[in-house]
Amino acid sequence: MKPFSLRTRVTAGFTAGALALSAGMAVTSYELIRRSLLSERERGAVRSAYYNATIVNGGLVGAEPDVVDVLRSLDTGTERRPVLRRDDAWFSRNADAGVTEAIPAPLQARVAAGLPTMQRIRVDGAPALVVGVPLAGGAAFYQIDSLRELDRTFQIVALALTAVAVILAGAGALLGSSISRYILRPVAGVASAARDIASGNLGARLDPATEPDLAVLSVSFNDMVDRLAQQLERDRRFAADVAHELRSPLQTLAAAGSVVAARRGDLDARTATALDLLTAEIARFQTLVNDLLELARADQPARREHVDVAELARQACRSRRIPDGIVQVEDGLPIIWHVDRRRILQLLGNLLDNAARHGGGATAVRLGRSGDLCYLEVDDEGPGVDPADKTVIFDRFVRGRTSVARAGGDGTGLGLALVAQHAAAHHGTAVATARPGGGARFRVELAGCLS
Amino acid sequence: MTSVLVIEDDDRIRLSLVLALEDEGFTAQGAATAEEGLLTQRRSRADTVLVDLMLPGVDGFECIRRLRHHDDVPIIVVSARDDTHDVVAALEAGADDYVVKPVAVKELSARLRALLRRARGAVTVGRVPALVFGDLDIRPEAGEVRVRGELVNVTRTEFRLLCELAEHAGRVLSREQLLRRVWEYEVGDERLVDVHVGRLRQKIEVDSAEPRHLVTVRGLGYKLQR
Repeated sequence: MKPFSLRTRVTAGFTAGALALSAGMAVTSYELIRRSLLSERERGAVRSAYYNATIVNGGLVGAEPDVVDVLRSLDTGTERRPVLRRDDAWFSRNADAGVTEAIPAPLQARVAAGLPTMQRIRVDGAPALVVGVPLAGGAAFYQIDSLRELDRTFQIVALALTAVAVILAGAGALLGSSISRYILRPVAGVASAARDIASGNLGARLDPATEPDLAVLSVSFNDMVDRLAQQLERDRRFAADVAHELRSPLQTLAAAGSVVAARRGDLDARTATALDLLTAEIARFQTLVNDLLELARADQPARREHVDVAELARQACRSRRIPDGIVQVEDGLPIIWHVDRRRILQLLGNLLDNAARHGGGATAVRLGRSGDLCYLEVDDEGPGVDPADKTVIFDRFVRGRTSVARAGGDGTGLGLALVAQHAAAHHGTAVATARPGGGARFRVELAGCLS
Repeated sequence: MTSVLVIEDDDRIRLSLVLALEDEGFTAQGAATAEEGLLTQRRSRADTVLVDLMLPGVDGFECIRRLRHHDDVPIIVVSARDDTHDVVAALEAGADDYVVKPVAVKELSARLRALLRRARGAVTVGRVPALVFGDLDIRPEAGEVRVRGELVNVTRTEFRLLCELAEHAGRVLSREQLLRRVWEYEVGDERLVDVHVGRLRQKIEVDSAEPRHLVTVRGLGYKLQR
């Protein structure tokens, strides 16, 4: 599983923290509010019950007191209902049996035993408070307080506290998100510097002074880039030295060779043959050195510029004495591409040379576009590419299997490797396919040409 | 006979080039250092000069600058280095062309001859006495360029390039076209064109960063306008 990003984790942490804190606060506040309101209500209920019990007690003098009348004379409001148990009978102001049944038996027993008692009960599904007061003569006065209103208050308080908790958690999330963005900003700076370096700008460095906390990172990052730049510079210098050391003697060979070649007519047959061999090998060695030096520059990014690719393709044909009429441009294709001119020219040239060497000569050069990619295709009508060779032919020092190719022997075995390298420098690919109707088709797809 | 001065510190390369160029019909003379080459050139001026870049003492770039200081002799750099940096620096120092070792002597002599053709009859282009582009005044027959009346010192290659552009005033010439017409290359290094255009701009534009006459047409090439 892909781990969550640091920002997500920091934000989640802040959210969870804020939620836990605000939920804890809310629960505590709720409990405190509930207890304080309840106990106040209980005190009120007890006071009122004793007061009313006294009145009822006073009204129960005489032989046949009108109990219901006495109860009705009490000022209790709608939330309180007084009932009286006397001589195993219940008396109340209205006939609501439910109330008397809701009074639990243990409570009745305690009151009957002469102990004033208070208990929370449920009446008709709503919470209520019952206070029982023993009266003279074995009677018991009960007063039932409905807690319905109080319950509503609790619900509102709970709702309000929940809302506050949710808002606080959201604020925590926002805080976490912006803090992590703030903290990660220098890291984003490192990332952008790294991107710069990857795209070839080795001058990119971080300033350790701007973020003291990240000074160690900045310093080691800069150190790493310095070493990388040094290494690249060493490699570059080595390649340049190698180029110089290989090319200089080749220049002597080429010039001296041409002096001897100019006098070929004066030579006997054996010497002339030997001279031809020397001249041919010098030529091949030149190509080999140039191709090797080009391959050694694999790490260099493409130097893109705006190039008329159709003209470039025609040029590549003309320079090989191939009629430039074989260049076909797809209808509506913009011919100005953003590519490395030198590399594309060499890429096309190598494909044309490859077709000449192994496929009897190129028959078509096609420029087109598929989606975001632009492509170049070179067709020939030769024997085609063996399916088993399709990938290896782009490897270094691989040459065609045909005996003709081996006998010709003027290739370096690096031409297609360079094609693949130049394609890769343009974030593209090179593939060999079969041409419909026979022969080979080499297709190079390049990215970012039309930007 | 056309004379060539070969400034090259590697004895074997110098000797083989002198021999091969003589076979091609040039009178060739060698110099092992820039100092020697500059002295030789001052004593008896060769028609063309080949210069290596890595020379002991005064290097090839400085050698080109000093040669260029005296006259507009065609200079070709023959170097084993093909870094863009070196190519551009050598051309900016004033070289007319740049070839990378090893170069076939036939090709080298073809390039020398092309440069010489350009150097001699500076221009076949102009039968017109003067081409005027605002404050820029080109006189093909006299081989002169004036900016706001002031005579400007341009090399033969620069002059040829300017005349090509002037002849097709207002139209875009691609780098390939310019390479063919000015350097007589079928396929060549377009940096030649770019650096020469840059050099020309420094001489004929008020602000070479914001050229008014010699403008770049993105992806297509260059054109000269009023």
